[in-house]
Formats: sequence, C-alpha cells, structure tokens
Amino acid sequence: MREEAHRFGRARHLVGIAGLPEGERGETGVIVLNAGLVHRIGPFRLHVELTRQLNAAGYPTLRFDLSTVGDSTASGGQQTRTQQVCADLDDAMKLLGERAGCERFVLFGLCSGAQNAHVVAATDPRVSGAIFLDGYAFRTLGYKLRYYLPRLVDPGRWVRRLVRRAGGAPAASKVAPQPVFAVAPAPREEVIADFTGMVGRGMKLYLVYSGGISNYFNHARQFRECFGKVMNHPAVTTRYAAETDHTYILTGDRARMLDGVGGWLSRNFPPASAGRHP
Amino acid sequence: MRLDAEVPFFFGPDAGLFGMYHAPSVPARRAMLMCPPLGQDLIRCHRVYRQLAQSLAEEGMAVLRFDYYGTGDSAGESAEVDWDRCVSDAAAAAVELRRRAGVDRVVAFGARLGGSVALTAAGRARFSEVIAWDPVLEGGRYVAELDAMQAALREDAGRFNRARSHSDVAGQWLGFDIGDTLRDQLAALLVTPASVPTLVLDSMPASPTARWERIVSQRGKVATITPPTPWDDLERLETAILSHPLIQAVAGRLKEVA
Repeated sequence: MREEAHRFGRARHLVGIAGLPEGERGETGVIVLNAGLVHRIGPFRLHVELTRQLNAAGYPTLRFDLSTVGDSTASGGQQTRTQQVCADLDDAMKLLGERAGCERFVLFGLCSGAQNAHVVAATDPRVSGAIFLDGYAFRTLGYKLRYYLPRLVDPGRWVRRLVRRAGGAPAASKVAPQPVFAVAPAPREEVIADFTGMVGRGMKLYLVYSGGISNYFNHARQFRECFGKVMNHPAVTTRYAAETDHTYILTGDRARMLDGVGGWLSRNFPPASAGRHP
Repeated sequence: MRLDAEVPFFFGPDAGLFGMYHAPSVPARRAMLMCPPLGQDLIRCHRVYRQLAQSLAEEGMAVLRFDYYGTGDSAGESAEVDWDRCVSDAAAAAVELRRRAGVDRVVAFGARLGGSVALTAAGRARFSEVIAWDPVLEGGRYVAELDAMQAALREDAGRFNRARSHSDVAGQWLGFDIGDTLRDQLAALLVTPASVPTLVLDSMPASPTARWERIVSQRGKVATITPPTPWDDLERLETAILSHPLIQAVAGRLKEVA
C-alpha cells in the first residue's frame, strides 16, 4: 500500500491522507471522519491503525479533517454545519473516487464522527455502508432499570446514604471531567426513520457501542430498546463492548474493535468485490 | 488565510515522514522546524503547533511541522518509535525545510519530548537556536511519571466501568504501545545543553527554576509563561493543550533576535 497527502475540496480547504492498496483499484472505499476535535490520525492514532489495516486487506481509504478541524480550514461559504459536513464528504468521495476508482463508500465515525457519518449516510446514495461507534443513543426504561435497580438493592449504598444524612462522612466529591467528545441529541423518531431508510435502500450498518457511554447506554439489548425492530434487520450488526472506554485507549481493546470492523467489512463488502467494475 | 501556503506532503527515507510546510507570506530569511512531542502530547499539541506555525508564517518565517517515524501520519507503528530515529528524523526534516524555504538559518521549537529532540539534534541539524517548551531533561523521572499515570489509568473510574487487569494495560503509555527499546532509551535519557542559544519556556506546574539551570547556564535563558500547562493530568488526557501566551512568547523571542 502507499499513502498520499492531499489538500483538496471545493475550496482546497481540506487535508487528508489517502491510503491506496497495491494492485487493483477498489470499488468500495472507506472514509474516516474526525472524532471530536482530534485531527485525522484519530484518538491514540486509531484512524491510522484502522486505515492501514484496511489498506492491507484491499480497501482504499481516506482519513481527513472536516472543515475547521485539524489542518482543514473553513470553505468560506455561508453554510450550516450540516451542509458543510455533507459538502466535505462529497469532496472526500470525489477524491477517493479519483485516486482509487471507488464508486461506493463506507463511512466510519466515532462519537461526533458517527453523528456526522449518520447525516451523510441518511442522504447520499453513494454511501453503501456505515460504521457508527458510540453514535446516537437514548436512555430507555431498560437503561434506567439496569442502572437504578442494582443501586436500590445495594445495602452498602443505603448505609453510606444514611451516614451522610446523620451528618457523618460527606460523599466523596469528584469533579466530573469536562466532556471532550459528545453526540448532540436528535429526535428518536428521526433517527429510527433514518436507519430504516438506510437499510431500505440496501445499506449495511455496524453499530459498536462502548462502556464509555454508560451514562446513557448500558446493555446490548439497548440497541433494540432505542431503535426498535430495524435493529433486527439482517443488514444491521450491533456490538456492545462493556469493558472498553469511549476512545479505545487500551491497545488490546482497539485491536479487537479493529478486527471486528475488518471482519464486518469482509463479510458485507468482500475484498473480491473491492475489485473495480469491469 | 492563504490555503495553498500550507502544503501536506511526505518526505525523508522511503517518503515515510509526513510534513506540513507553511510557506511564508514574504520571502523568508529564517525558518522554524517544529519538533512534535511523543504519544498523547503530540495529539494534544496539534492545534497549538498549527496556530504557532500560521502566526510565524504570517510574520515571514517558513515553518515545517512533521511527524517522526511511528507517530502521527508518518509510516511505522507506535511500538516502533525509536529515540535515535526521532533525532535523525528531525535532522532530515531540517534538510527538507532548508530545501523548500531556500534559507540556511533554522530555529527549532519543541514541546516536552519535542523540546528534548530539538536540543539533542541541535548540532547535527545545525539549528541556529532552540526554543524548548517544558522539555524533558531527565528521562528516568519522566518514565516513572508515565508508568504512574498508566497504573492510575487501569483503575480510572471515569473511563472504565470496572478496573482493568494489569495485563490489559501492560506495555503501553496512555494509549500507545511502547517498545522496550524506547522505554530503555528514555529511561537513560539525560539531555545535555545545546551548543546554540537556547530559550526554555517554563509552564510546568510548581516548577523549581533550578530545574533548567543545567540547560541554560551557558547560552540560554528561561522565560515563564502562565497559566501552568496540565501535561500530566489524567482527567484532561484528551483535552487539547492551547496557549496564547506560548505563541506570544515564541513570536516575541523571534522578533528580538531577528
């Protein structure tokens, strides 16, 4: 494989690294979006490891910085953020199409990257697959039961509470760290309609959620609780990794997640079909 | 901003090093090589490095940011990062910068281990000056700090639902695989003074000023910048390091010696 550094886009305002496998040009390209404000290499270099692993498996890739993130600047137009993201992804798909012959694309995004990938996947027919890491989710009744019930029946917790009420030891005060990564909320019905539309037009989806979002997601069942029967569609694969954190800081967790992504891609977009259309 | 003035490219051995060249707004008389720190500090400093590069390019300096082998967008895996290779990559980057900018006089800048690389490479890369922001001078202490943070990470309740096993966190520092070679190299690291003028920018929390004496006693000085930089705060591990005072201090220094 080889990597190329590009400045590209409608205003030449975007910066990205295209990874091109040896040999045949590929039909399916994978585009990796920024996670939060981390530049294109990804948290702990996740996106570099991902794209190189996929290049070795035969997939062309592009990891790049969206407008105003990392090394990319604003495009100069009067667009909403959503319009900018869609236009940036249009630029990205054109570049990878030119460099590798890709005609369809799989988007990969973590957290706000998943949110941005969702917006584009819901509207752009060139997107045939999406990998959402810790994307949209909602606190469900099941979530609340799983969260509160163990606490209600924990005698230690009651003892500590009573001691505090009686004027004993204060609760350990811990200042919550400022969130660095966050997914903005969206109406649940809208998200369900998007997922339904995606699989309806033949897209394949892989949702991987981590223990790092346990403040609103805490069980594999919650995919179905959040999004209903569309999660049972054969085009949808879900995975809940309770032990990991939000950004896969441990290299073993990261390797397992990347293996999962590679396996999902090879099943749904086999490297054989990564060969260019005749 | 002049978009085409910032050029991403690969260079060096096997074209494996990533660089971002900031062309100056006017013909350059000097250039700056920005040596990045390693590990998570590299990611945290990306934005402030870019802001500083843009600011200096607007003032007429040619600037090159780059990634060492095994880091950032450069070739190689994280476990392959090697101290000696970092120093030789800095020297290769200085050659590339001189070629692109058409100037011979190159000032080096680096934060934390990037400052240490700049100081170590100063003679070989023929830097005219080194500006080091909280450089790591004694690797043994630094290794102990990273080990302590990695041990604390294992039990970080803000990150994991339950403490992880010792084997889960072994052989890594804060998100990155660490090879035995780099660990040994850093443990033995004792940065010696550069033979060129050196400015240490000190933003270490509660820093004893004596900390820097060994480096600046001959041809250097120390300037304090505030507020302190939270390099070693596990709760802010994924928060960008931003510092307007740092940019002002570097720009001010370069105007002084223009």
